[in-house]
Amino acid sequence: MALAATRPVEVTMPSLPERKVGIVACSGEELAEGTVTRLAALKVLHELRRGETVTICLPLFLAGGEGDRAFAKFHPTITVDGCDLKCAAHGTETYSGKPAASIVVSEIAAEHGIAGIEGRRCLNQAGQKAVALTAERLVALVDQLLGKRERPDAGASVETPAASSDSGVVGCSCGSGIPVKVLTIAGQSVEVVALPLIFDKLREAHGSSTGSVAQDLLEMVKVYNCVAPEAEAAWREVLVREFAAHCAGEVSK
Amino acid sequence: MNESKPQVVIVPCSGIGKSFGSVAREAGYELCDELRPNTTRLVALSKLVLGDEQARERVRRFPAITIDGCKLMCAAKLVKHNGGTVAREVAVLDAYRQHKELKPDGIAELNVEGKQLARVMAEEIAEVVDGLGRDASGGGDHA
Repeated sequence: MALAATRPVEVTMPSLPERKVGIVACSGEELAEGTVTRLAALKVLHELRRGETVTICLPLFLAGGEGDRAFAKFHPTITVDGCDLKCAAHGTETYSGKPAASIVVSEIAAEHGIAGIEGRRCLNQAGQKAVALTAERLVALVDQLLGKRERPDAGASVETPAASSDSGVVGCSCGSGIPVKVLTIAGQSVEVVALPLIFDKLREAHGSSTGSVAQDLLEMVKVYNCVAPEAEAAWREVLVREFAAHCAGEVSK
Repeated sequence: MNESKPQVVIVPCSGIGKSFGSVAREAGYELCDELRPNTTRLVALSKLVLGDEQARERVRRFPAITIDGCKLMCAAKLVKHNGGTVAREVAVLDAYRQHKELKPDGIAELNVEGKQLARVMAEEIAEVVDGLGRDASGGGDHA
């Protein structure tokens, strides 16, 4: 009996949500070093690593919504502080997530023998040099976090961000705001970072069928959230159910 | 800042994503460095995020004027969060609506119109500062 020729099934894998590195500057208004953090961050965001980096205004961790507070859980984040108070580093860790790396302008300046940074409104030459060096340090860290280089001379250790904590989407003044959703998994309330975005991506790729989506869904969720191996089955079950509900909601719109 | 004179704390937002945040920052500097250096003091918003005790003490002790670049009003919210009193909430967007010819552009480097808008705002806030000073010293036109 001749076997019927079967056409190989082409499986379209969903593209993962693009991962970018977050940069949070203290922007301290009182000191020239605060201006350095701001200008160095903007230089990286707009010129040196445009499209690969995002930012959020530090005060939004307190004044914004849950979506803003999810920033450092969603993006591996580098904080840039002007002085050793380290407002950006501590603020980010307290209200959003542990930064992947933290740098301090006054320390970078000392390393390079730069003294006399002045001009919080209009930086002097030392301040401008500090901007260039801080931006250079940031770029090295961004590349390290994006896996472009194995061991750059970044001068700060990089840690993998952990996960976890509530819900909603808030548009913020700096164009950020990460969608999150709270689910009850195995009897526990869990914040799932980026879930609405992941649902949209999967729906584009698979349509509303939940049959083939389960593993892709879990794998994508694990990119942005910590899922213990022993909890994967429970996560998968809830995610598939929520995906179906999400698709049904989209259809009914 | 002269401690013997009436004090007003100025807290601009740290907006980094849009030109309006830069206008808020520039207006703060224009006011505190140029127009009213003796009666105002700039407080960094990042310190209020951190809950720095010195910054908290300042916003609790003196009336604060906040300058915000967007409707989320981070500066005003954080002064209140830290127990301070906001004497006046200033919004760059409101100022821009009143001065449509001064459209700000640029974040790292504001355009001329953005700097002019900041100057206009600083002048208007300076009058508020003076009014708060008169109130604090019991002066003014009040009988």
